[in-house]
Amino acid sequence: MDQSQTSIPDVSKTKTGEAPLLVAQQVRKSFGTVQALSDARIDVRKGEIVALVGDNGAGKSTLIKVLSGAHRPDAGEIIVRNRPETIYSPNDAFDLGIATVYQDLALLPTRDVVANLFVGRELTRNGILDRRRMTEEANQVVRQLKTNLPSVRTRVRHLSGGQRQAVAIARVVHFGAEILLLDEPTAALGVKESHEMLSLIEHLKEQGKGIIVVSHNLAHVFRICDRITVLRHGRTVGTLIKNETDSNEVVRMITGADIL
Amino acid sequence: MAEVTVDLEANAEAPTEESRLKRLLAHREAQLLLVLVVFTALVRAGGAPGFLGPTHFPIFLSQVAPDMLVVIPMAMLLIGGMFDLSVTGVANLSVVLIGWTFSRQVGQMDDTLLIILVVAIGLTAGLVVGLINGLAVTRMRMNPLMTTLATWWMAQGAATGVAGGESRHNFVGSFRDIARFQPLQDLGDTFPILQEMRISTLPMPVFYAGIVIFLGWLVLNRTRFGWHILATGSDRQGAALNGVNVNRVTLIGFVATGMAAAMCGIVWASRLTSAPPNTLGGLELRVIAAAVIGGAALTGGEGSVLGAVLGLFFMHMIRSATIQLGLPVYWEFFVLGAVLFTAVAFDAWSKRRAAVDR
Repeated sequence: MDQSQTSIPDVSKTKTGEAPLLVAQQVRKSFGTVQALSDARIDVRKGEIVALVGDNGAGKSTLIKVLSGAHRPDAGEIIVRNRPETIYSPNDAFDLGIATVYQDLALLPTRDVVANLFVGRELTRNGILDRRRMTEEANQVVRQLKTNLPSVRTRVRHLSGGQRQAVAIARVVHFGAEILLLDEPTAALGVKESHEMLSLIEHLKEQGKGIIVVSHNLAHVFRICDRITVLRHGRTVGTLIKNETDSNEVVRMITGADIL
Repeated sequence: MAEVTVDLEANAEAPTEESRLKRLLAHREAQLLLVLVVFTALVRAGGAPGFLGPTHFPIFLSQVAPDMLVVIPMAMLLIGGMFDLSVTGVANLSVVLIGWTFSRQVGQMDDTLLIILVVAIGLTAGLVVGLINGLAVTRMRMNPLMTTLATWWMAQGAATGVAGGESRHNFVGSFRDIARFQPLQDLGDTFPILQEMRISTLPMPVFYAGIVIFLGWLVLNRTRFGWHILATGSDRQGAALNGVNVNRVTLIGFVATGMAAAMCGIVWASRLTSAPPNTLGGLELRVIAAAVIGGAALTGGEGSVLGAVLGLFFMHMIRSATIQLGLPVYWEFFVLGAVLFTAVAFDAWSKRRAAVDR
């Protein structure tokens, strides 16, 4: 294991440019006797898409949850915009501009798009909900992201999978997230919707967001990302630049076949 | 707002009168209101011409009022994805504690102070049971159905135990005013129209109910807390991930429902000026059924205050019509059950249809 660690150069450090938005290194986390993360590292820059890949149980979700404040790491360092930070809750992450779109989306099916965009951060005037302003802002966000929704008053229950995902992303973008953690954004989508989603993610990249995408779909990974971080048994075994690698190499690293 | 309307209409066909009516009738409140109007017309035609007429309506309102205090917080609790069976036990416990306090203290302290004391004791019973329910469900993750079934029995048992087989009735006379005082009486003398329409005879509980309805509507639709209730009921985990304090929503919901049940008990104690431990029966089923008929989903996230009001009106209209039409009152529960069955079946049907639409 240690050999594989050293045999793959940490390419993220060799790339020049501005400092990363987010760096996580030597992150450890165990649940009881199960060590979910032993030495996880990842970093992302402004206007960059980094794919986080790995086999089931490799620790991808745990790492995402550590970065989003849902899990508190046992050890490790998280540096946001060059400053070491502790993220103990989703609110801490939010204050640092880190937002997560979970696989199950955490949307409210019986509520409309407006209520979903503003849940937990409703706008008020003199203590009374400012529904008019929330509706206006919701329309603005939806237009900005070029998503096609029937109306912001539609209940999320009546939206398609891709539209729901767009709402979930619109929510975090609207509240100023600069670092987006997307957990399997295309897993539940059909072919056409997947492509719309990938375009939306690329659109966010153009807006200068730093994006970490967890995905099983290597075709999607190769289409949109700039770098690929591979996690195996809770450890980052390497980060590859997309243009210098291919899916064979990524699969070898995911499965650990390169040790043999 | 204007933009949204445009968006909506751009997708629909031309906004004819018919489609506007259709859209209006897609709301549960409108459907229910239509049912109530038709029902009233049928009962009037069927041999009770005075049904909900100027003489009957004020009486009807004061009959509905005590239940109305409970149905509003219960609907909000259901909308928040929770459930409370304990309200009947709580209301009876509050009645009995009031009787017990009066029997010990009457004549020993100032009447007004004593009334304040008994009201405080009654409300405290609701507060305590509400807190127990809320903490059990949020802190100990106990199932709300079984928890409130247990606290229902405990509260009812405590009521019966404290009463000890007696119904106290040595109340302070002015305690009656809580339920009987007619605040618009004087106004009726000045404006004969109020007297003619019997508005001046409306007793206090109708006004308590009005205040509770207004507050419920305001909180649910116009405050962040109300949207947090809707969010919690819609998807508890999703709401929590977005920073909604779902346990606070649930705890406050149970406390409000418990205290409302206690208020209901206080009104009944005042109305009866006696304190039997079985003053209220079936309150929990009446208010839960009314909220569900009014569109509150047992799965949470849906429902409205207006719906709950109309649902409770319907429950009481059936009861009242049974009596006025001279139908055998023994069948009342059968009819109420059948109405509830129909409402739930209708819900399931419209949900299936919505699923097919998508």
